[in-house]
Amino acid sequence: MIRPTRLAGGIMVIALVLAAVALPLASPAAVLAAGSLALFLLWRGWRFEQDLTAAAASLAVIREVDRMILRQGAVVTVRVRADLAVPAGIEVRVRDLPPAVAAGEGVLCEPGKNATYTVRLMAPGETSFGGCVLSASDAFFACDLTCRRFDNPHLRVFPVGTPEAGRGIGIRGEDTEVDRKAALTGQGVRGFRPYQLGDDPRQVDWKVTARRGTLYVRELAGLESGAPLIAVDLPAPGGGDPAAFAQFSMAVYGAVEEAIRSREGCSLLVVAGGEVVRFLPRTLASHEALTALGGLAPLEPRTPLYRTPGPAALAARARMNGRGVVPEERAFREQFSGVLSAFAAESPANFAAAVRAALGRAETSEVRLYSLLPAGDKSHLVQLTREAKVRGMRVVLRSPAGAGTIPGIDAVEVL
Amino acid sequence: MPADRRFLLLCGGEILVVAAGDLVVALVLQVIVLAAVLKSRRGYPVFVLAAGLFAGVIYAAGSIALLGLAVALGCGYLVLVLRNYRLARWAAGGDA
Repeated sequence: MIRPTRLAGGIMVIALVLAAVALPLASPAAVLAAGSLALFLLWRGWRFEQDLTAAAASLAVIREVDRMILRQGAVVTVRVRADLAVPAGIEVRVRDLPPAVAAGEGVLCEPGKNATYTVRLMAPGETSFGGCVLSASDAFFACDLTCRRFDNPHLRVFPVGTPEAGRGIGIRGEDTEVDRKAALTGQGVRGFRPYQLGDDPRQVDWKVTARRGTLYVRELAGLESGAPLIAVDLPAPGGGDPAAFAQFSMAVYGAVEEAIRSREGCSLLVVAGGEVVRFLPRTLASHEALTALGGLAPLEPRTPLYRTPGPAALAARARMNGRGVVPEERAFREQFSGVLSAFAAESPANFAAAVRAALGRAETSEVRLYSLLPAGDKSHLVQLTREAKVRGMRVVLRSPAGAGTIPGIDAVEVL
Repeated sequence: MPADRRFLLLCGGEILVVAAGDLVVALVLQVIVLAAVLKSRRGYPVFVLAAGLFAGVIYAAGSIALLGLAVALGCGYLVLVLRNYRLARWAAGGDA
């Protein structure tokens, strides 16, 4: 936003003082002085805005990095040059914005001169630069303009420890470079649903259609309004495949970065068994989200559940009526409902209550649940899903191929 | 500080403008004082023309012209802020 400098502030004060003097004294010269100072500031603001627009329109950023495919935590050297036409009377500087997942600051560069800096990429996934900030100022006004269109080049960051074919030693020796494309290419398609009249025929997914025997269309990510809740189910250590976990963490980081880049933001809920490990409501700051994810390592659940459907499922069972069934079953259902209702208040459900509070604060319409669905009890995921469904939220599960599903899920996507 | 020196120059100039009393002399002095504050005088005749028009309105309508100018300037600053908002959106990758 355009902001006045100290000199412009001083001129405003003089104009106000002159106006306060001029009106009671009815002095035409003081009226002219007060009015023309205010007019002068408006004219200067208008000129500054025009100059800024011209500078922004002429801006071209050339950015080069020493590597575009690298490992998590690797150091990248960035060389950047910003060229623009600077109108007379204003000073312009450009500050490069490194990727959101990078540790390190961008540099200020003078127009037409090369600048070099290094950043360390801390999270896996596909990432790009944040653009640049055009800082312009003259004697009266200043403005910082964030230009997001200069986000090239795009970088691919692989998680630490993922074995890949075709790897080699990076230029610094401590990093490993990979030149093979990963299976995960992005978060573009959110899910699939049966074709409805009026759907765009270009969105028909022919592979799913052929598999299911009826028309299915793709639902693209980002078409739902509001920030999604990304729920991450951390597996227990020891039992899983490291490559699958690396792919899982890459998908989670990718989803978080995509949500933040789309300017919707997201909420984050990290669970392990029947425990909420971390919760971050509605954030647009990538460093906050990455801190909340905290490196994504397997975690031993401290409060494991076993076949615990949760209060939402029990309440649904308690509401079952006996209409349309034989009299014996009706009597059984009435008795069962009575027992469930009587014990509902006596059995605390801490995990369900924590999830309910998190869903309430997230204010979302969609929950994206990331889980490896390991063997064993999945009560916590069932509870999470049911709590979301009670609030009318859509639940999309992202899990490895062939891992199965859990009841109540709206769509399953393969990691 | 150059900005402080310019501000002091402007304060002195405004005292002269108010002390002049006569509208035409005040207009000429004001144009000279504000030109001295500027580094680049690109587009300055536009401001001189606007100030001259304002002086004419003061001559015709008196001090009440200041209130009319305040309303007009309020609208002008609003348009300026909206233009800046559109520029910021365009730069951020949205529609202009």
